Amino acid sequence: MTGLINKNRIIIAGLVILMCLLPMVVTKPYYMHVIIMCILWAYLASCWNIIGGYAGQLSLGHGIYTAAGAYITMILFNTYGLSPWLGMFIGGGVAVLMSFIIGFPTFKLRGAYYALATVAIAEAIVVLINNTGHVGQYVVGGAEGLIVKMVGNSPAAIQFNSKIPYYYIVLFMLFMIIFISKWVKESKLGYYLVALREDEDAAAAMGINVRRNKLIAAAISAFFTALGGVFYAVLIRYLEPNAIAGATMSNQMVFLTIVGGAGTVLGPVIGGILLSLVSEVIRFYLGGQLMGLHLFIYGLIVMLMIIFQPKGIMDLVDRIKRKRGKQDQGEGGASSARDASGA
Amino acid sequence: MGCIYGLIALGLTLIFGIMKIINFAQGALLMLSMMVSYWLWAATGLSPYILVIIVAPVMFLIGYVSERFLIKPVLDAQKDVREPVSVLLLTAAFAIVLENLCLMVFGADYVMAKTSFSTQTLALGSVTVSAARFYGLLIALVVAAIFYMFLKYTQTGRNLRATGQDRNAASLMGIDITKTYAIAFGIGTALLAVAAVALIPFYYVHPSVGSVFMTKAFIVVVLGGLGSVPGAILGGVIIGLIESIAAQYMTATLTAMLVYAVFLLVLFIKPTGIFGSPYEW
Repeated sequence: MTGLINKNRIIIAGLVILMCLLPMVVTKPYYMHVIIMCILWAYLASCWNIIGGYAGQLSLGHGIYTAAGAYITMILFNTYGLSPWLGMFIGGGVAVLMSFIIGFPTFKLRGAYYALATVAIAEAIVVLINNTGHVGQYVVGGAEGLIVKMVGNSPAAIQFNSKIPYYYIVLFMLFMIIFISKWVKESKLGYYLVALREDEDAAAAMGINVRRNKLIAAAISAFFTALGGVFYAVLIRYLEPNAIAGATMSNQMVFLTIVGGAGTVLGPVIGGILLSLVSEVIRFYLGGQLMGLHLFIYGLIVMLMIIFQPKGIMDLVDRIKRKRGKQDQGEGGASSARDASGA
Repeated sequence: MGCIYGLIALGLTLIFGIMKIINFAQGALLMLSMMVSYWLWAATGLSPYILVIIVAPVMFLIGYVSERFLIKPVLDAQKDVREPVSVLLLTAAFAIVLENLCLMVFGADYVMAKTSFSTQTLALGSVTVSAARFYGLLIALVVAAIFYMFLKYTQTGRNLRATGQDRNAASLMGIDITKTYAIAFGIGTALLAVAAVALIPFYYVHPSVGSVFMTKAFIVVVLGGLGSVPGAILGGVIIGLIESIAAQYMTATLTAMLVYAVFLLVLFIKPTGIFGSPYEW
């Protein structure tokens, strides 16, 4: 068992170092931006995975949490000059509150109601933001979007002239969410969530407070999703309601997670990076040609992935590992069996 | 308008009630139906209402085939999973594909079938209504009634209901589940075709029109109770009424917000909707 874990650790450490050194190799801002966005997507997919993957509660409106984080932090910054470093906690708090408001009535019910309620509420929020020019002295921007005030190179405002600081911030966020995912998964909460995902009645019969645990998972997920929204806001410096709160944002998180492998720690990360890279490449090469072509291909890829690999890339990795484990016998097999049961 | 919401929601609730799948492609399929009907109308010049004879079977076929070749394989692979999340996402991806396919083929223009009665109004007693909308209402009601009878009295309808109640028991009774699923999906799509022909004389068609109706259909379905046929119609009427009455007094934004507010209120007070049972899912 130790042999394989150590090998894994070395691989992970190597990857971490490689990723930290990446900005030395990649110098073009455009490529850097693409990489940052890919990592951000991986981060957001991991956030979604906590409620959607572990707990199996299909939230299709996670865009409202990114919007909550982004808008609240940026409105506070624009009006009071409050540093986003502090504002993000307020934004995150509001996102948690929203997750309670949605979760409280719907978590009493089974699966589909929650999914539908999240869609409807997300849509309502998009309409609301699109039509709110300002609330009192706070400028929201409405359909025109909200422009983040520029203050030049300022770490306190998370505004940098170069992309590299952003890269390190988002990389740190990704490591943080992987760590949290792993922690949630291996904690009592994680086991409760998996139990209630598999069979709610059985979980309740075992004395698990189903609703409470769902709410906790939703709150964790909402908070970190909101932080992702804040990062998006400081990176892009312009908030467009449909882009940050709309269905595209919400669905993207879900697609990435499912393609990568819902309910696994690394699935959303792998799915997020690979799929968003693919979509960016398609967009880059085909975007200018025929309207809709790149999205058509993107949708097709997602469809094919779901048809041929419905449990995601991680399932494929696990199967390969298991096959190899059988050849190694002994410790390798035992360890990959542990992986498989954990996945 | 409300009845048309109901009709769209009817397809959604049927597919959900029987297959336990939320069909996210519903909006995109509606858009496809509208596109097909529009282009048929433009090509033949026949009344859109007559075209339903062509559009409905075509959409049924599209629904049937896409169930068979897209949804069934995933459903089979996920037999051991309680909630077929992947299928749901498959329909969402299918929606993206359909929307962008139509964007490529038909372009992003807004089109509308300007029939002789598009701008006419009818005077019903003291109330004046747009003719196209009134016909749309009649069509929706008639089709909903036919659909209800079909579900209640034909063998296929009984098969559908039995499968919805208990998949395994129905299968043991000798019902071909695979076929029933495909039929359910096909009928769900055919209902959209009817909604589409009722819509095109007074509603603009463009590749993302589906999303307008999609969210409404979701709200209607939850309002009426997931899987409930009368609930879908009633929910549709309620939403339609709220919209049109509120539109007299407030801005379009506030109207939209009111619909969502009512939806949230229902979720808090009776989360299972008007006709839903808490144990159905």
